[in-house]
Amino acid sequence: MRAKRKYRKRYDKLPIVLLFVLPALIPLIVFWIYPILRSIWLSFTNWDFISPTYKIIGLKNYQSLFKNPRFFEALWHTVVFTAGTLFPTIILGLILALLLVKPFRGNGILKFILFSPWITPTVAISIVWSWIYKTDGGIANTILTALGMSPLKWIASSDTAMLSVIIVTVWKSLGYAMIFYLSALERVPGELYEAGALDGASRWHQFFDITLPSISPTTFFLTIITMVNSLQAYDQIQVLTQGGPAGSTRTLLYMYYQLGFQEFNMGQATAVAVIMIILTAGLSLIQFKASEKWVHY
Amino acid sequence: MNTRYSDNRPLPLRILELLGKILILGTAGIFTAFPFIWMIVSSLKTKADILNTSVFFPPDPQWSNITSILFDSPIPKYIFNSAWVSLVIVALQIISGAMLAYALVFLKFRGNKLLFGIVMGTYMLPVAATYIPSYIILADWHMLDSFKGLIISSTVSIFGIFLLRQGFMQIPKGLVEAARMDGASHWRALWEIVCPMTKSSFITFGLMNFISTYNNYMWPSLITKTSNYFLVSQGLRAFFIRDGAYGTEWALVMAASAVVVVPLLILFAFTQKWFINGIGGETGIKG
Repeated sequence: MRAKRKYRKRYDKLPIVLLFVLPALIPLIVFWIYPILRSIWLSFTNWDFISPTYKIIGLKNYQSLFKNPRFFEALWHTVVFTAGTLFPTIILGLILALLLVKPFRGNGILKFILFSPWITPTVAISIVWSWIYKTDGGIANTILTALGMSPLKWIASSDTAMLSVIIVTVWKSLGYAMIFYLSALERVPGELYEAGALDGASRWHQFFDITLPSISPTTFFLTIITMVNSLQAYDQIQVLTQGGPAGSTRTLLYMYYQLGFQEFNMGQATAVAVIMIILTAGLSLIQFKASEKWVHY
Repeated sequence: MNTRYSDNRPLPLRILELLGKILILGTAGIFTAFPFIWMIVSSLKTKADILNTSVFFPPDPQWSNITSILFDSPIPKYIFNSAWVSLVIVALQIISGAMLAYALVFLKFRGNKLLFGIVMGTYMLPVAATYIPSYIILADWHMLDSFKGLIISSTVSIFGIFLLRQGFMQIPKGLVEAARMDGASHWRALWEIVCPMTKSSFITFGLMNFISTYNNYMWPSLITKTSNYFLVSQGLRAFFIRDGAYGTEWALVMAASAVVVVPLLILFAFTQKWFINGIGGETGIKG
């Protein structure tokens, strides 16, 4: 009798659980989990998208990627782009947040301005930036000339194209980092500063001994998020440079796009995708481990 | 007495600091706002004036640039497409996300932890890695190049599930249990008790996902080829490179960008608080 009631209690909830879980779980499986597994599977095949059949070719896609200088170029560009967006975004974001955390007149409007690029379409603002970067008669070169510097070729030269894309990306994500830091700074308990002041800590020490450790979870989170976003940057590259000139802004993601959706080499494209999954998973794992070890709550 | 606001340093140092602060914030503000300002002034220039960068403000504002975009170009249609497709997607994401978050927080069942682990695991994955198989699925279902395909492939938001779960966990479990005792169904408990108490999470979820769906470019541009189905980013890019006119009609291109961007800035001006809360506070980032 009791066992039966317990049994019923456990299983009469099943329909309601399914009802609540499936509307999200089905699309999650169909458009997230299955495609990831399928990508991994396709990376071991030579499918060209048009043929109805394909062969399993084992690790050949990976082997030919690792022999392809284009792949290592793209990997290097991804590292440069990621580092080039990560450090300015984090450091400038923190500086701006430190300057804005105490309320003053005009504080709100500055926050509004600094955050606004984040909500506008990357494609639209990249078009504006390509107009700013125009080699002859672009405002960027007009300003450089006015400051007595020599004009640059910006997105038209393989020397400066990556820098140009990085500037646009930092411009867009700076406000996002700033907002994260602002709320982290507001949550630092005031008593910590009071104790620090009693101990006669200088402001410099206060910053390094109290502020920086207190906001370290945010720094870690922002580092990972910015890296993951940089790994996936597409819109600004597509509008500004299409991976060029001479492949100088081709990142792994852009290579994936070109292999998959321009050359229909699905095997190699999904192999690049799998490498990106491994990189992101690695980053998440590092974040997880590091936050256990170093982050102070 | 000794709070963090006390400042006993000499006056010149404090003045120097203030000047530094103004310099840094001023530079950052101008650097950030400049592209928007340049877009707007450029959109009002004539073909001749726009090439002369020594003229900042349009000497003879060409409002016809703006009206020709508004009444004589496909841009408004793209804006309309983006707006209604995003509204439908976000509505579906809110319903599916709220139900899953409710199940995770308030329904005790086997596999609860596992389910959360799966959701969490997909959060960090590069979404682009799913594009080739998802493309094939939509092709098999004959949904490429259609609004249906755009909508059906985006009915779940992992970010949203996190945000709502975080909000739901703040609600005392007893409240939901009491409502259940009074005979309320789980469905009613979710929408009449839990939802009103976590209104801000819902608003943040809705706004953030509306903006990101509205602006989304890569996935929509891969699956739609007919301009009828273009969302605004793809439409704008098509307008930018149309007829090989790349770089010849800068004033019109800037006018089109302005028509797309300015309404979003206005929307943001009124909803700023929800973005800032959502990003900074309530996502409850724990390292």
